[in-house]
Amino acid sequence: MSLREVFEKNPDRRYVMFGGKGGLGKTTFSAATGYWLAQQGYKVLVFSVDPQASLSDIFKRDIFGKGPVEIMPNLYAQEIDADRRIKEYQQEIRQKILNMYGMDKVPEEIENYIQAAAAEPAMEESAIFDEVVDIVVSGKYDYYIYDLVPLGHALYYLSMASVYDQWIDKITALRTEMEEYSKVAAVMRRSKETEEDQILRELQYIKQRINTSSGILTDKQKTAFFFVLVPEEMIILDTKKAAELFAKFDVPLAGYIVNRVIPAELSQQEIPEYLRNRLQMQAGYLGRIGQVFGAEVLTHVPEFERDITGLPMIARMADALFGPAEAK
Amino acid sequence: MPEETKKRNWFDGVKSVLYGMAGHDMARYALKTRGSMEHLFILITMGDLLGIPILPPYYSLRLLPYVVPQISTWKRRMLREKDLTDALA
Repeated sequence: MSLREVFEKNPDRRYVMFGGKGGLGKTTFSAATGYWLAQQGYKVLVFSVDPQASLSDIFKRDIFGKGPVEIMPNLYAQEIDADRRIKEYQQEIRQKILNMYGMDKVPEEIENYIQAAAAEPAMEESAIFDEVVDIVVSGKYDYYIYDLVPLGHALYYLSMASVYDQWIDKITALRTEMEEYSKVAAVMRRSKETEEDQILRELQYIKQRINTSSGILTDKQKTAFFFVLVPEEMIILDTKKAAELFAKFDVPLAGYIVNRVIPAELSQQEIPEYLRNRLQMQAGYLGRIGQVFGAEVLTHVPEFERDITGLPMIARMADALFGPAEAK
Repeated sequence: MPEETKKRNWFDGVKSVLYGMAGHDMARYALKTRGSMEHLFILITMGDLLGIPILPPYYSLRLLPYVVPQISTWKRRMLREKDLTDALA
């Protein structure tokens, strides 16, 4: 099956992700896929969950922290500014404390905690994670393309969902039990029903946010996850390992795309020994990829003569990925 | 005082006595248990405040406003070996 057929035969898969090691072409493929779908008349959002996002570079537009930016008709791109989101969020918490207790100033101890929490390393990932939920539940686009972070982070991101989920379940249970005790005391004293536990509601809200996000990541009907690799030994081994891990998290693997394939036709021409050796090595690894991943390899993408930035190059990449464009 | 009100006052008095005899201890116990759980809850959500990182902090911040009043008593309790109410119980 080709990449094009995967899209055409599964029109319900509206969340598209490219994963793989750093620098193999995830952002390039995200942009090219977005371009191709937009050409077909779908409204597409390509967004980055990487704190070091590179969508701005590939589209040659500064889109960092600007919300969804229209790149061309139907194609929007977004880079999440995690720092700003964290700052706004902290301010929201402070304001809530001031309003709830009618204070003019957040107590020092509490303020210190708010500041310290923001410095935690997991904070940035969590903030992005949370914003992604806002983006995907908005339902404004036909397709959502996640420009994922390199493998290790992506796994962290996925496992975070299940850790969060278990944690929330535990404290929700504790909170519910606390509610019971309050009620018992209230009944004994024959006072009215206790006021509804706001914390419990807050916990349920958090749980629902996390479930939405991790639900999408593991939904076989709606999500397609593609692995990007190149014909090199280490990459093949790492990809195989990562694919096994992802499968454990129930990520619906939709196929593999081999990038940076030096065109084999070159060997017919007068080429230096260096290139000839590379071609030979590549042929071996392409054979290995065929053995290891079999029919799940959807397409081979050639190494271009220059890097892929700007829309004209993205259009060429889309042709390479999906076959020549046809007007629709 | 009208007969109705007198009667109710007397009835309320009996209720209070009965509550004192039977219910009060149970109510106090329930509240005390709840108090301990409240502190346990703050520990697992705001553990960082004592230097025990337990939880991804992003969502724990969402809960912070609700526990602001308990924070100081909680810290004291966590850092104290024995609780005063232990002696009372």
